[in-house]
Amino acid sequence: MIALDRLSARRKPVSIKSVTIDWGPGIHAVVGTPGDGCSLLLALIVGAARPRVGKVRVLDGAPTDARVRPQIARVGIDPSLPDALRVDEALALASTLRGEPPRAASERLSVLGLEALSRRPVDSLSRQEARGVALAEAVTSSRVRVVVVDEPFSSNDARAASRIIEALRAKSRSGCVVVVATASLRDAGELADDYVLLRAGAILGKTTSVRALARMAPGGARLTILARDALEAKRLVAALAGESDVAGVELEANTVKVRGPDPVTLARAAGRAASEAHVDVVEIRAEPPSLAEARAAVAIEPANALPVAP
Amino acid sequence: MIAAVGRLSAIRIARSSRLWLSLGVWCFLALAFAVFARRDGWGHGADRVLSSFYGGLALPFMACAVARAAFGGRSMTSSTAPLVALGVSPWRAALASIGVAAVATALVGALLAASVAVIAHGAADPPRGRDAIASAYAGALGGAAYAAWFALGTTIGRRGGGRLFLLGADWLLGGAGAATAFATPRGHLRNLLGGDSPMNISERSSSAMLLALMAVCTILACQNARRR
Repeated sequence: MIALDRLSARRKPVSIKSVTIDWGPGIHAVVGTPGDGCSLLLALIVGAARPRVGKVRVLDGAPTDARVRPQIARVGIDPSLPDALRVDEALALASTLRGEPPRAASERLSVLGLEALSRRPVDSLSRQEARGVALAEAVTSSRVRVVVVDEPFSSNDARAASRIIEALRAKSRSGCVVVVATASLRDAGELADDYVLLRAGAILGKTTSVRALARMAPGGARLTILARDALEAKRLVAALAGESDVAGVELEANTVKVRGPDPVTLARAAGRAASEAHVDVVEIRAEPPSLAEARAAVAIEPANALPVAP
Repeated sequence: MIAAVGRLSAIRIARSSRLWLSLGVWCFLALAFAVFARRDGWGHGADRVLSSFYGGLALPFMACAVARAAFGGRSMTSSTAPLVALGVSPWRAALASIGVAAVATALVGALLAASVAVIAHGAADPPRGRDAIASAYAGALGGAAYAAWFALGTTIGRRGGGRLFLLGADWLLGGAGAATAFATPRGHLRNLLGGDSPMNISERSSSAMLLALMAVCTILACQNARRR
């Protein structure tokens, strides 16, 4: 659905060089900073920038085709909503322009828990609220087949934050392509099916799983375990001390952080320890490496870069 | 679809209290001048008020205010960005916004010109009805040309400040007797409203020139809107 073929482009002071990617339905993360060309890459996908060399194909056409344009939605850090209108009027206008039947604004906004914004003037929305409205418009549009989101978890309305993942996953399950650009591997790991690491405009690596991401960290995989209280966390630490797969443990209030060679082995060890110590674990979360760690790992060992599954 | 694309600009105009205040002030001043001309019994009252105050000050300022409101007080790129984000091509979004601004300015210009012509009508002016129709035509054409002129100004500068630059250029270059008036809406509008003509061209030629100016400014503005 999105095919970038040896794409090079420049928008001062950023450029991207010879980027080739094929994305089908699903959630895809471009990991890097705006200075690495992430924003430029998104701009090329939505047709807001022109490639110098190479081709961009979106939904079997150029992103600027009259047929393709209404099927692409971009949610930027500072989204452009139709000013001078109320939110419900803006959503009605969006439906008309995209060529889809109108739906009640509150129904569309409820996907992100933002139905209270329905009657608010767009001019009065904070950036976080505006991003929420733009995202709700994108994920609830029946016409939109490609959703492009800049930093999905940054600058979001508190009401929407907890529902973003499910909203984007639901959109991707309906056969759409969701592309997110983020500088946080944790955010990418929470959301995406595959990951492209971008540095200075070039693809540094492609991976297909959080496990591969976690392996990239030079110090091995990391897990964060949330216990119910500090006492249970201490009991868990004591039990983890007997686990040979655990290389290191840190305790902070009711949070236990463990390091080990592999995230799955580490999770099994944590589960065993929790069972032994009779601790109720609230949450176990894999901690992906930082962007710098991932880049360093790929640079040291190119084998970490896995091909994206077709 | 075209109506939907233009809806945003139309609503910006309808909901801009600053615009309505500005239009109210300029209409009040123009009508006040017309009343003075009538009270003092000027022979060419309608011609004088229309070609001096209305054409020289009121219409350009009103058109500038309408263009500002239609583009949300921002640059062309920024003001059309919400439409482009919803799948409208930049060219079409710009064209629709300019169209709405042109229609709004033409309506206001025609109504005010006809009102001034009726109120300030003097003994030496053409028959009142015919003069009102001719003035409305000139006001509508001039208003639409000014809207396109200022839409082009909206593509200059980060926040569309080029509008004020073109307002100044129109004032400086469009003065009576100047050859440069040929390239400004002001020179041709003055000709249509009974004032001096630029380079002694006919009223019909001035009408054609206003249409040509409108077309050129619109095309340039739409082309500039594509660069984002």
